[in-house]
Amino acid sequence: MSNTTVKQKRTALKVAKSSKTLNVSSGVFRVNQSITKTINPSISGKSFSSASDSKVLDKSLAQTPKHTVQVFDEHGQDVTPHPLYNPDPGVLQPKQGKIFPAHDTSWTTVTDFPSVAFQTTNASFTGPFTKSFFGSVSASRTSQTTESVTDETKDLLVKPDLSSSLSDVQARREEVKEQVREDIIDRVVDSYLTETETIWLLDIPAVSVSEDSEDAEAVKERNKAYTELCKNRLGNDKYVERSMQTFNDAPKTKEVQSDSITMVDKAVMSSTWDMYDSFCNKGDASENIVVSAEGKKATVPDSSSMNHLLNPSGPDQSMSVFSTTSTVSGSSAHLEKMTCVLPVEEEPDLELILQSDKFKQDLAVMERVVLANIFQPKLAAYRQLPVIEDPDCVQTQIEEESWTEQSKNSLSPFLEHLWVFKCELTKGRNVSSMTWNKKNPDLLAVGYGQLDFKDQKPGLVCCWSLKNPTWPDRIFHCESGVTALDFSACNANQLAVGMYDGTIAIYNVQTTEQTPIIDSSDCANMHACPVWQLRWVDHDTGLAGEDKGEMLISVSGDGRISKWIHYKGLECVDLMKLKSPNMIVNNQRWNPKILSLAPGLCFDFHPNDSKVYLAGTEEGHIHKCSYSYNEQFLETYKAHTGPVYKVTWSPFCPDIFLSCSSDWTIYLWRQDLSKPVLGFTSGQKVVFDIMWSPHCATVFGAVREGKVEIWDLRVSSLDPTIVSVTNPGVNPTALLFTPETDCVLVGDSEGQVTVYKLKNLPAGDSTQVEALEDVIRTTLSSKHTLGKTDRDA
Amino acid sequence: MTAEVEETIKRIQSQKGVQGIIIVNAEGIPIKSTLDNSSTVQYAGNVHQLLMKARGMVRDIDPQNDLTFLRVRSKKNEIMIAPGKEMYAFLFRIQKPKQM
Repeated sequence: MSNTTVKQKRTALKVAKSSKTLNVSSGVFRVNQSITKTINPSISGKSFSSASDSKVLDKSLAQTPKHTVQVFDEHGQDVTPHPLYNPDPGVLQPKQGKIFPAHDTSWTTVTDFPSVAFQTTNASFTGPFTKSFFGSVSASRTSQTTESVTDETKDLLVKPDLSSSLSDVQARREEVKEQVREDIIDRVVDSYLTETETIWLLDIPAVSVSEDSEDAEAVKERNKAYTELCKNRLGNDKYVERSMQTFNDAPKTKEVQSDSITMVDKAVMSSTWDMYDSFCNKGDASENIVVSAEGKKATVPDSSSMNHLLNPSGPDQSMSVFSTTSTVSGSSAHLEKMTCVLPVEEEPDLELILQSDKFKQDLAVMERVVLANIFQPKLAAYRQLPVIEDPDCVQTQIEEESWTEQSKNSLSPFLEHLWVFKCELTKGRNVSSMTWNKKNPDLLAVGYGQLDFKDQKPGLVCCWSLKNPTWPDRIFHCESGVTALDFSACNANQLAVGMYDGTIAIYNVQTTEQTPIIDSSDCANMHACPVWQLRWVDHDTGLAGEDKGEMLISVSGDGRISKWIHYKGLECVDLMKLKSPNMIVNNQRWNPKILSLAPGLCFDFHPNDSKVYLAGTEEGHIHKCSYSYNEQFLETYKAHTGPVYKVTWSPFCPDIFLSCSSDWTIYLWRQDLSKPVLGFTSGQKVVFDIMWSPHCATVFGAVREGKVEIWDLRVSSLDPTIVSVTNPGVNPTALLFTPETDCVLVGDSEGQVTVYKLKNLPAGDSTQVEALEDVIRTTLSSKHTLGKTDRDA
Repeated sequence: MTAEVEETIKRIQSQKGVQGIIIVNAEGIPIKSTLDNSSTVQYAGNVHQLLMKARGMVRDIDPQNDLTFLRVRSKKNEIMIAPGKEMYAFLFRIQKPKQM
């Protein structure tokens, strides 16, 4: 705000009546010319100087459009009155009354309405301004340039209410210093206030009348009369239709311009799956949407899908929805859980892709498919499917010869080598045990661990799938050598592993985690010696109470057969202690309280009666025990002179069992006879493993040092039917028949598991149980006769 | 890349008859390949279109179904495509006369 001193001459001020327009400032208080002021002489001590000299004013105003008004008394002191409502401190604003000299000025109306009102008030300008105050009115002079005039059009009207305080004035006070002339004080000026007429802006008369009013009755009458009239109007002669011409006002055309509406053409093609996807994804919109790049649009014409309607995020964006729940079921899908629905990351980062599980599985599928191609004939042979030859494959001469060679031998039974499960990891390890998965017949678990005391290395369990013979699906590293394995039948993904240091661990093969679900190393009762055999036994039949369900039973070198319960940890209960029978015999000499336990090497539960089981010991004894009675054996079979490595019941004949031992013999026993019925020896080699064939009652397989033998008792009980010699230096150590096909797996000390197909074995219609029994009967009878003859002789 | 994935790729690559393996992202741009650049690009582009078509066909017939594997055998070789959600891996094999 600038203060300017405006000189005002002492001139006769006349009240201007005519066209004086006052422009009022709103907000900005402008006194372009603080010109004339009339002062009530009753205001003493205050004097204004009003300038009527336009020139002076012009100059001042041209320079400074804004200025505050200040009042000085005759002594030059600042006595400008305070504004009544303006919170500005200190500055006293003058009361201003302005009367513009009529003679000098010609006003131009710049603004609209306020001027009108002012004019009237202006005319009757009087008096006591004592406390009144109104915002300064800026007047414009014609001599002013029009620009400045237009500036003032923004001004507000200040109510010309002189008698009351003006609250409308929000403007800045402009101070104009005036010089007060004494003679002006004496002037008396009359000002009159009048009210203007009421200006009606809108007047709509009411069309309804209240029922309580006086006119209500009259109105009702009139309404009634009118309705009567309307009814009578039709046929009445009094009323005639007549038309009239009305004046039509001149039409007026009006034009409006607006922004043009841009039209965009959009075409959408949707396919069945698109619609399905959109429908499915309506709920979780953000999850499964992959924003496809523009480049893709070219190749996939239907990528701009119906999602447009659902996601109106702009016509330019194309969203194609691929909520593919790909179930990669190329592999054995039961346990290995190859199905997965992955959440889609919104930015398919390269690294994320490559690390995603889905990718791994896809690759795994790829691998299997490739391998399936390679191994197709072998796998087909395994599964007893016709071998499909690749039509494009050109058979070379060499292969033809090998085929013919084998076909020459087609009459005699032989083991056809199919393939080998081996990989880098397993090289040099000894295969100690193999087992099939109970649920998924394609899954094989192989345990690798040294059986000797020396050469102990950390063990390994590999789960191989038939579909990928080059690399195991699961690899579990164990601390010590693995000596026993078994898959659970109830929870088909649980694999129990027994180790050389006596620990039993249960792994979950569904995951690739290296840690077992549970470990028996915390158990107080854990085995102190290697666990030689493990079995999950289902005790549903016959037993009641807490013994129902499946339990893990183990036999170990510390002479105990224990039952393990998975409660909070693995806890074991001893089923039987394999007491050395020598003690019992010689209890006179030895202190009967000293128990020495014979290390147990194997056991087998009866297939029909799960209470009875056989246990073989290192001393060569086979004990028949009962599950519920753990004090004594039911029976003991003594025949072997070396540790009994394996004892197995025949799956077809309930009374027959086989046992093999390191004394180079395999014995066939009958449950009720204490002497073996048949003995099989061929060569002086330790027999590591035997197994009955699951298909034929008379066939069993045996694994000796350096040889794999398949015995068929129908053919001969003296010699094995098939003998397959392994590579020198490599000892087969484990044998496993396949439950469904007629193949046999042999694990050897080099870490390889070879799959052989039994060819040309005489197959019968039935399981040949009778044949086996016949054989046994004949043998027994011959023995008897032999015995008799001996006695006789 | 994780070690497992690397290993698997290596193993596949080392099988008999496998010429190369290409991994392609969801847009058809090859991420990783064991073949040379020009053939990679060529294969990737063509296979991508074929895959889209095949997948569209499978899902058109039954929207709940989805493509799991695609194999193209030709006189000289065989292409195997394993489609995934965000990437596709495909394998290019040459049918050597002696082997399957």
